[in-house]
Amino acid sequence: MNNLNIEETKYTPKIDLNCEEGTVSIVGKSYPENTFEFYEPVMKWLEEYFANDAKETTTINFEIIYFNSSSSKLFFDLFDLLEENKETNNIIINWLYDEENESALEAGEDFQEDFETLKINLISK
Amino acid sequence: MSINKNKLIDEIETLKEEFAKTTDKLIKDVKRQDKIMARSDKRQRQEYDELQKKFLEVEALQKEIEDTQKEVVFTMGAIGESRSKETGNHVKRVAEYSKVLALHYGLPAKEAEMLKQASPMHDIGKIAIPDAVLNKPGRFNEEERKIMDTHAQLGYDMLKMSNRPLLKMAATVAYEHHEKWNGTGYPNQLKGEEIHIYGRITALADVFDALGSDRCYKDAWDDEKIFIMFKEERGEHFDPQLIDIFFENLDDFLKIRESLKDSF
Repeated sequence: MNNLNIEETKYTPKIDLNCEEGTVSIVGKSYPENTFEFYEPVMKWLEEYFANDAKETTTINFEIIYFNSSSSKLFFDLFDLLEENKETNNIIINWLYDEENESALEAGEDFQEDFETLKINLISK
Repeated sequence: MSINKNKLIDEIETLKEEFAKTTDKLIKDVKRQDKIMARSDKRQRQEYDELQKKFLEVEALQKEIEDTQKEVVFTMGAIGESRSKETGNHVKRVAEYSKVLALHYGLPAKEAEMLKQASPMHDIGKIAIPDAVLNKPGRFNEEERKIMDTHAQLGYDMLKMSNRPLLKMAATVAYEHHEKWNGTGYPNQLKGEEIHIYGRITALADVFDALGSDRCYKDAWDDEKIFIMFKEERGEHFDPQLIDIFFENLDDFLKIRESLKDSF
């Protein structure tokens, strides 16, 4: 399978999915015009990765400054997918936030609360 | 056949289980959806508050900039006046007269307010006139008059490089406030509407105030004498329309003069 890289735009984050290193990174703002369409290749990639090509450890770095409600829904789906694969994979999730961005920290805390079985690290930059 | 062996019941049991799973999932989804909405609302409110706060900060800064600009411009005008024979509240009165004239002429309120702020700088060029000429008692000889008249060009040269709208306006005022409607003014002998409205307005405001004020070298003219002169100079020194505005709103001008009169 191939790596997937999507450049950052005004409304969408920079996305780097690396199957050789087992790293996933989503950095920036998430206000896509059509959220599910935008993230579709990302979700597909992850499904394929966990089905066929997962590394021993997979590291997911989220660094989301702002996101809209449909992105929030999408992240739930993404965490669901991680939760489904957590038994057979070592998954590390890092939620990075700027110290001054209170709502980014709160969003990370909310995801921690919702996905207790996942290990989500809140990391202040 | 016992009831327990009925396959239909098995099937229904299975369906029931599936149905329960589906409804559980639906409930979970709906709950999640509600949670997402509630959190998004909260986040958006925070972000909106944050933006509002930033916006107020920007507004305050903008006001600070504008106030600073006004103060600088006014101070520059006062410096210009301190070098000339005008005194006291002259610049303030010229500023107020200019605004009234601008408004009645039909300039937008914002532009009239700007002219009020820019007009005090009309004589800024005088800071570059030598003391010996500037402070000479009595009348100027031809040479001295020439030097004195360069203050319009000098003021323009000082201000023309600025890109700030207020200073650009002040540059125009400094440059053209000694032009005359009939083309006999200086420095460029502009005629009629070739003279910018800012210049035409400040010219009238400046002369009205200068004539009506006591100076160390002359007494104030009587109002009657000023009015006769203004009527004579209608379409000569001054824009006829501005003279008409002046007489139509004479009370306003006299009120300004009274409220800002010099105390010696």
